[in-house]
Amino acid sequence: MAPKRPPSSKKTTDEPEARLDALAPTFELAAQIYAQLTKGEVPRMRLPLRTKQNIQFQLKEGVWRLGRSTGTRSARKLDGALMLLRTFYLVDFIHEMARDRKTSTLRELYYISEQWKDAKFHSEDESNLLIEDLEVLCTRLREDFRLHPEENGASVIGDLTIQETNRKGVVKKINCRDDVGDGGYALPFNVEKEKIKFNACGAKFVLAIECGGMVDRLAENGFDEDQDALLVHLKGQPARSTRRFLKRLNEELQLPVVVFTDGDPWSFRIFASVAYGAIKTAHISHYLATPGAEFLGVTASDIENYELPSDTLTEQDTKALHAMQSDPRFGTADWRSEIDLMLKNGKKAEQQSLAKYGLNYVTETYLPEKLGEMNVL
Amino acid sequence: MGRTATLAEQLASKQREISVAEFFERNRQILGFDNPQRALLTAVKESVDNALDACEEAGVLPDVSVEISKDESGPDRYRIVVSDNGPGILKRELPNVFGRLLYGSRFHAHRQSRGQQGIGISAAVLYAGLTTARPVKVTSRVEEEEAAHVLEILVDTQRNLPKVVSEALELWDRPHGTRVDLVLKAKYVRGRQSPLEYLRGTAIVNPHARLVLVEPDGTRITFERASSEVPPVSKEVLPHPYGLELGELNAILKQAKEKQLSEALPRRLAGVTPRALKEILAKAGLTGKEDPGTVHGPELESLLSALHSVTLLPPSAESLSPIGSVLIKRGLRNVLGELRPDFYAPPVSRPPKIRGGSPFLVEVGLVYGGSLPPDQPVQLLRFANRVPLLFQQGACAITAAVESVDWRRYGLDQRGGQGLPAGPCILLVHIASTRIPFTSESKEAVAEDPEILKELQLALQAVARHLKSHISRQIRREYASEKFTIIRRILPQIAEKSSHLVGKPVPDLTPVITEIMNVVTLETASPEKDTGLDVTITNYTPRARVLEVFAEMPSELAGQLAPVPPPDGVDVGLGRMWWTLPKLSPNGKTELRLRWPKGHDGDASDFDWYIAGVDESHLLGADALPGDWDVRLPRQVVEAAEAAELVGVVAPGTTEEPEVDYDGAEKAAELEEDD
Repeated sequence: MAPKRPPSSKKTTDEPEARLDALAPTFELAAQIYAQLTKGEVPRMRLPLRTKQNIQFQLKEGVWRLGRSTGTRSARKLDGALMLLRTFYLVDFIHEMARDRKTSTLRELYYISEQWKDAKFHSEDESNLLIEDLEVLCTRLREDFRLHPEENGASVIGDLTIQETNRKGVVKKINCRDDVGDGGYALPFNVEKEKIKFNACGAKFVLAIECGGMVDRLAENGFDEDQDALLVHLKGQPARSTRRFLKRLNEELQLPVVVFTDGDPWSFRIFASVAYGAIKTAHISHYLATPGAEFLGVTASDIENYELPSDTLTEQDTKALHAMQSDPRFGTADWRSEIDLMLKNGKKAEQQSLAKYGLNYVTETYLPEKLGEMNVL
Repeated sequence: MGRTATLAEQLASKQREISVAEFFERNRQILGFDNPQRALLTAVKESVDNALDACEEAGVLPDVSVEISKDESGPDRYRIVVSDNGPGILKRELPNVFGRLLYGSRFHAHRQSRGQQGIGISAAVLYAGLTTARPVKVTSRVEEEEAAHVLEILVDTQRNLPKVVSEALELWDRPHGTRVDLVLKAKYVRGRQSPLEYLRGTAIVNPHARLVLVEPDGTRITFERASSEVPPVSKEVLPHPYGLELGELNAILKQAKEKQLSEALPRRLAGVTPRALKEILAKAGLTGKEDPGTVHGPELESLLSALHSVTLLPPSAESLSPIGSVLIKRGLRNVLGELRPDFYAPPVSRPPKIRGGSPFLVEVGLVYGGSLPPDQPVQLLRFANRVPLLFQQGACAITAAVESVDWRRYGLDQRGGQGLPAGPCILLVHIASTRIPFTSESKEAVAEDPEILKELQLALQAVARHLKSHISRQIRREYASEKFTIIRRILPQIAEKSSHLVGKPVPDLTPVITEIMNVVTLETASPEKDTGLDVTITNYTPRARVLEVFAEMPSELAGQLAPVPPPDGVDVGLGRMWWTLPKLSPNGKTELRLRWPKGHDGDASDFDWYIAGVDESHLLGADALPGDWDVRLPRQVVEAAEAAELVGVVAPGTTEEPEVDYDGAEKAAELEEDD
């Protein structure tokens, strides 16, 4: 069963009233299966494959989206039959929540499935995957199904004033530099307009940072004030809400987004999920990815040029780099040479290795140099 | 010059004979007494081997008990008491059997037995004497005598002669038997190389023996006998000329009482027919009139080469005592039953072969599954002439043969297709021969003889093929049980939930069920109290079928069984019974009820099931009719099968295109968390 409407418009996601018809596509799913049963056909659903072989670059949006290859989830196999059954248990649960006006965290849903007997999930990965499948099948977001992640709390520091409608319905105006503690402003899982509005912004660009230690260093050195930067802590692989927030900053405030991570293959992937779109969420890349985001470092050449203290690549690192060579998102000449260089040198380095030259080096030398090269400063 | 002579004389004065006993005293490891732990096991093993040999020779079902206890007369001392119900040993033989090395009845005999050299038990006595200065106490009663003789014996190491310390008569409640009581420096352990493991192995390959072990802490372990047949006594045969060496031939001719060589050769050697005799004499350039005792030198050599080159009758296998496939299985089941293996491969007992003039044969058994650990190397149980081999596994031909088989082809894990395979499996390998080429006198490992290796490989491969078909049957069963789970549990719920969502009644699932299954199944179940067997045949194909079901069973059962419905035909001689089932529509089923006749306890494994009327690729739980059964199927079965096939032909292009299994497809392997 191919998705009927490619989720290209922002309508379904940006406007809360769209959620009213969130349940409609679930009835369609049931109707399809019912039709197959009455025709004596083995129940099945067709889904686009979420693999790196099946993502395609969308010129219009500048992001990587799901391609046309599909797979079949069929009741011929036990795994397929169980996933079909789970889909209907999940749909039942979604209907129940809609009726009772409740929401549930992803983790709660996993535990709810304890009541599903044969259909209970074996791991949270399994339940999260099925929710993504349902997003794809129904061209809706999980929030439309009243399912959301736990509060992630990725933090923001810098001169941005936002207007948040908090859980009590009170509208709060918060400046992310002056009204917050050292921890910064913590992002809620919902960063849509109905929850967060941008009020005023003095920052000139966004610096998205992988590690908390580096965020703290820049804040302590006053980098946000000195350079008019908005610091966003990515917390490793960034959550959907963090990516969505970056996209909104970029699109609505026209702020350049620069990504600053460790220099290793996993960090390159963090950048890819911010700028190009992640494979797992390729069905909503247009909604999450920031095509204009740029990679600052640490690059493989930085390790050489700045003579940074490094570690030897592990077997997994090398494997990840080789896998990236066949990942279309890293198909550009720049990324190719970056990956080749890292493989050739066999070295990786952390952001914080810049401390080799003292605590101020990153803010006084490294970042100004790199941002200068990128014409951001 | 004079000085040298003096030195040579001095040296010469130190030269003297070394007795065999003295030699072994210094070289304990050769006989398996190199450390206290091993010494205990060797002493137990020698006593038990002797007991079993004696019982078998007398045609008695062995009842052997081994009691091991701590002896307080000194540190690290243990007492071993081994008693049997064998024929007993004559009083005049007792001193030599227990107190003299290289004294025995079997060394010269060409037949299979556990002990051969006559070293074992006397070496244990020697070792006991060396470490505790205590004599062995032997109690033995032969059937003809009223009382048992009790002798205490030591080995006089310098002269290799027994020294009887005391002797007495004692009343013994056993009609006959022998009891050996030894105190020696030893160490008791449990585990892989322990008396318990030795007895466990012995019990497997000697299912006719009842073995009892009492451990030092009082634990009593009994291996009950699983067979009440005494193995036939292996026959003593003449030495065969193939593989005979010069010295042996010389000795045989010297001892010959015949006047002429032409008389001596056929009587003293096996396989020498009159025709062969002529050929041998011609080739050796001898007349046959020679006095056997005087043939020597070049004559002897040419006689030997003639014996080796002429075609002779093969050595007789009567000198061998194989366990046999029935008893191997029974022994394994008896001893390993608690591990609940789910498969006992039909054991393979190879026909006898010749190696160096001696016959040998190889037997292999295998158990698989159950509570055996799935990821450990397979447990290899090695046996030579029904004696477990517990040491030097790495140096043994049996191990080499197991390692040379590519077990990956048969469903076990094996790194690189070499080495000991891994899996939930125990392998039993037995070599029987009148002369097993051990790597040393302690008889722990079999030398890597090419002939033996070849036979071992053939036997192992034969058993491995059974394993492979078991594993593929198991995979098929798992496949079937997966399908049953889908149609019985998952599909009905999918139907119920989707119907509920669309607000319509649940549709008939028959077409979907038959589409998913597309097989005819035969399932057997035992009714309450195991009074018989209920057989259910279900047509899970999308076509109506008329099926012919055949049961094959032991013929005595076929003669007595009165199933419901009654069969449409019975052949008692072949042990076959068959039914033409009523027409089964898709998803339709029918049942056959079998009840055991009085006095006969059957078992599902007594039956093999065959079904005609459906292609064998669509059969589960039964096989297609064997090709060599000349069976005429009823017309309705043939017609229904043809009709089903015609309907089954699908127009090209309408078959489902090969689809990627979404849930089996490689998922984004990246560690991209996304919450």
